[in-house]
Amino acid sequence: MQYALLIYEDESIFGPGKAGPKLQQVVGRHHEFVKELGAQRVGGAGLKATSSATTVRTTRGKQILHDGPFAETKEQLGGFYLIEAPDLDAAIAIAKKVPLLEDGAIEIRPVLSPG
Amino acid sequence: MSGAALERVFREASGRIVGALAARFRDLALAEDAFSEACARALEDWPSKAVPTDPAAWLYQVAVRAALDGLRRHRTQEQFVMQSLPEVHEQAEPEHDDELIPDERLRLIFICCHPAVSIDARAALTLRLVCGLTTLEIARAFLVSETTMAQRLTRAKGKIADAGIPFEVPAVAFWSERVDAVLDTIEIAYAKAHEDAAASGTHAHFAGEMLFLTQILVQLMPAEAEPAALAAMVRFAEARRPARVDTEGLMVPLSEQDPRRWQRSLIDEANDYLTRAVAIDPNPARVIQAQIHAAWCSRDNLEEPPPWPQVLALYDALLFRRDDTIVRLNRLVAVAEVHGVESALSHLEAMDRELLRDFAPYHAVRADLLRRAGCRDEALRAYDAALAAISSPAERQWLTRQKCLVVVP
Repeated sequence: MQYALLIYEDESIFGPGKAGPKLQQVVGRHHEFVKELGAQRVGGAGLKATSSATTVRTTRGKQILHDGPFAETKEQLGGFYLIEAPDLDAAIAIAKKVPLLEDGAIEIRPVLSPG
Repeated sequence: MSGAALERVFREASGRIVGALAARFRDLALAEDAFSEACARALEDWPSKAVPTDPAAWLYQVAVRAALDGLRRHRTQEQFVMQSLPEVHEQAEPEHDDELIPDERLRLIFICCHPAVSIDARAALTLRLVCGLTTLEIARAFLVSETTMAQRLTRAKGKIADAGIPFEVPAVAFWSERVDAVLDTIEIAYAKAHEDAAASGTHAHFAGEMLFLTQILVQLMPAEAEPAALAAMVRFAEARRPARVDTEGLMVPLSEQDPRRWQRSLIDEANDYLTRAVAIDPNPARVIQAQIHAAWCSRDNLEEPPPWPQVLALYDALLFRRDDTIVRLNRLVAVAEVHGVESALSHLEAMDRELLRDFAPYHAVRADLLRRAGCRDEALRAYDAALAAISSPAERQWLTRQKCLVVVP
């Protein structure tokens, strides 16, 4: 099966615009992790700060554009991995190893109609 | 065979048949539907024809056919059927069920109690699939409507299928975490049944299922200490049920329960399980908890002094392994008896009051200690706080009576 591992962290710890030295620190750890994952990693990316987000909201057919992420939350989606794993237990084992700089959460979501 | 006898056959066969089908077809809903269909067929066939000599084997074979038919109807699964499923032949007299039906109940329990399944649904799903309880019976035990329970079960089964929860006994790396999830599930479910001290009908029945379930767990995990400890705990607690409420429906605290009203046969069974657990590993928290129960249940009559010093020593050991609020509060109750109320009170007042604001046991323990220390006004306020947070009628009545003692000791 394929799973998306969605990484939620408080992006303010990385400094304004997610550009501080702390980001380099965690990016370095992600590079290590990607090596470790090898072929289990199908895809993924880190995301720029939510200050750069734009949201297109559709309500009853009408589309409105607004500045910012779809919801204001304490922790923000900061990146994701797409992985191949035989079952949820295997995906959980990988999710537990996703680097986080401080507190955070990894949401494990099975992908619709796995490729 | 009477209706009740049929019910019993279905219930006893449920865990083994649904487990075997789920392991074979990797589909919980399909397994459950196929078993229901087999039961329905049995209800039609058995009263008119002879009941098969091995009803479970009959049910299993009919259920396997029903599952295969179900898969054929869902053409998306066609490929899987063609590849991996042998034809099942009609047999006049099926083989013996022990050889026919692989015992996959442990896998089934691990699936139902997977930590990725909502905690509300885990025990319900286990009772439904492993113990064969009906949705209505489970709904009554959890005090929700049948519709709510049916939705909860459906959602849980959907989650198991969609999230790819494996139909396997967990790998070594996950073993202890997953065994813990199973034991927690049963412990919480039992506590829920035990909460109602008066134990009206459905709860008593539910507690009976917990005895059965813990017995199965010990059978299936013979090398683990904690399942045996849990089996012991459930039996110690059940043994005391007749003495937990007095004739007026008031809760009777453990130290005031008449040991002559406890059920000796359950205590003996519990002690056997505890001996077994200690022999495997005396260290886990659950083993110590069971030892605390055992200390209480070793009392023969009310003239014998309560085993407070032994209980305190065990709580000291438990706190070392499981430092949580309930353990701390229970320990302080023992401290008050062994070292005096003042000592217990000073420890209690050092706890974080804001964090415990809505926690009924905290207020109940505090009220009792304050009353005994002679702090009248504070005790009254603590009783009110406890009463505001407790819903069980037997406990409320008891607290109300204790509160009266503040004014008229």
